[in-house]
Amino acid sequence: MQGYVAGIITLLAINCIAALGVSLFTGFTGIFTLGHAGYMAIGAYTAAILTFKYSVHFIPAIICGGLLAMIVAYLIGIPTLKLVGDYYTIASLGLGEAIRLIIENWESVTRGARGFPGIAPYTSLPVALVFLIIMAVAMFFIVNSSYGRAFKACRDDYVAASLLGFNTAHYRVLSLAVSGFYCGVSGALLAGFMSFVQPVMFDMAKSTELVSVVVFGGLGSISGSLIGATILTLVTELFRPISQYRMLIYGLVLVFVMVFRPEGIMGTNELTLNYIKNIFSAKKKASEFDRRTTDDCAS
Amino acid sequence: MDIIQQLINGLSVGSVYALIAVGYSLVYSVLLFSNFAHGGFLVIGGYICYFALRSWGMNIYMASFAALIGAGLSAVLVERVAYRPIRERTPITLYLLIVSMGISIVIENIFVVTIGGRFRALPPVIPMDPVNLFGFATTSAFDLLSLLTAVVFLIGLQLFLVKTKWGLAIRAASYNLKTAGLMGVNVNRLIGIVFFVAGLLAAVGGIFLSARYTLYPQLGSTITTKAFVAAVIGGLGSLPGAVIGSLILGLAEMLTAGFISSQFRDLVVFAILILTLIMRPTGLFGKSVGEKV
Repeated sequence: MQGYVAGIITLLAINCIAALGVSLFTGFTGIFTLGHAGYMAIGAYTAAILTFKYSVHFIPAIICGGLLAMIVAYLIGIPTLKLVGDYYTIASLGLGEAIRLIIENWESVTRGARGFPGIAPYTSLPVALVFLIIMAVAMFFIVNSSYGRAFKACRDDYVAASLLGFNTAHYRVLSLAVSGFYCGVSGALLAGFMSFVQPVMFDMAKSTELVSVVVFGGLGSISGSLIGATILTLVTELFRPISQYRMLIYGLVLVFVMVFRPEGIMGTNELTLNYIKNIFSAKKKASEFDRRTTDDCAS
Repeated sequence: MDIIQQLINGLSVGSVYALIAVGYSLVYSVLLFSNFAHGGFLVIGGYICYFALRSWGMNIYMASFAALIGAGLSAVLVERVAYRPIRERTPITLYLLIVSMGISIVIENIFVVTIGGRFRALPPVIPMDPVNLFGFATTSAFDLLSLLTAVVFLIGLQLFLVKTKWGLAIRAASYNLKTAGLMGVNVNRLIGIVFFVAGLLAAVGGIFLSARYTLYPQLGSTITTKAFVAAVIGGLGSLPGAVIGSLILGLAEMLTAGFISSQFRDLVVFAILILTLIMRPTGLFGKSVGEKV
């Protein structure tokens, strides 16, 4: 039982890392993507091949996975991020699927559609948590740095940001590269957690899941994406006994939250002490206000 | 004369994609969001047709009719239940997109839960026998029939959009929904009609696709990806663009599968998508949107 719980938490940490990456790109830079599973696949296969064939230690292998995903993301981003709106969304869908299909057909290196078994199970709970903490802290710094402000400027008003002298195209590509790194690391950790990777694991459904986690948690909120990833991972894990209904419940949760709270769970707020205080004081004020008005009416 | 045969196959597949892509593009042109639940309507149509033929013993015409109406109504229902509350609250179309993804997961899994995820074949109601085309090539009656049906429905859609009052309203709304509303168009009813038409066209595509391949709950999402790609190649929101894009896609698929290898079929499709977008960022016929400052 303890192993099961540890497994869920490890998976949770892995999903959170990917969510952080997509959160930077979709939440803070405002570009909707449907292809980030492709970068996870690159990270996963790189780490798998490095540890299995070349017996590299797992930590450099994971980082190499992230870096390769980052480089591919950068190279892909230069021509395609000129596209705006839904054109980029569909293009990213095509790119993500193309990465998957290349991996599937490049049998001499990746062993094709049957998958890549026998990866050393290097992702233990502490490894995943350490990666998550380091990368979450780094993300907080990125978002609050001058780069983070530039990303947000690109999101809020593309034209105004470029008139203010921001090289918006450059920042968009940069944001994609960083989010590619996060997804690559997450994929590499996933490979070590499952000790088996298969191209189908990184299909369009995975990309959709990544982006819905971020919107679900709140666009433009790091803690929101983490909460979103946690809730949706738990929904799929806790309902595993009734596995048939699992995806149905997942879809329904997504629809209900979006219909009743379109801005996501956290909106653009971060889960800080102040935010929690504000919620409570807002409630207190409301109840005081109620009391006062009823008193007034009584008198 | 292998090539002519592959060309006819390609046009036939492409025209079925066109039915789906046109519906998607129609919704996009009015509401400006990618409706990922579109594939769900296709699957709903396919299953209604399947059960109408198998369990209720209808003939193919009655069954198709039921499928078209059923899929159209379910599209209207989805709009009413899930999209309208968001539409009324916020102008940001991103939320609609996410909900449509949720809906597509829900529709897919409702079928998995209730009738199971196994592959089902439609009863042999659509003729499949080989036809000889003036000695040039042999092709199947099915290919010709699906090509013909798709053309008939596309012409029907065109007539609806050009000749009727609601068609005029839809064309007006595709320029500017808000202004159309100010001119006295009942926007909610208009969007309902758009969804009904989109669902109906998707069901036509769904019936032909489930006869060509087999019917299973995930059929929708694999096919819609292609229809989306086709619509984007042609230019989002442009109906002629969606048709041309679908034909290009169908031809590319069949020619690659016929002459290179069927493994590279999807890779070629995505390569065409990326190359088109790099050269023409708004697709072949898309409106280039200049941002106002």
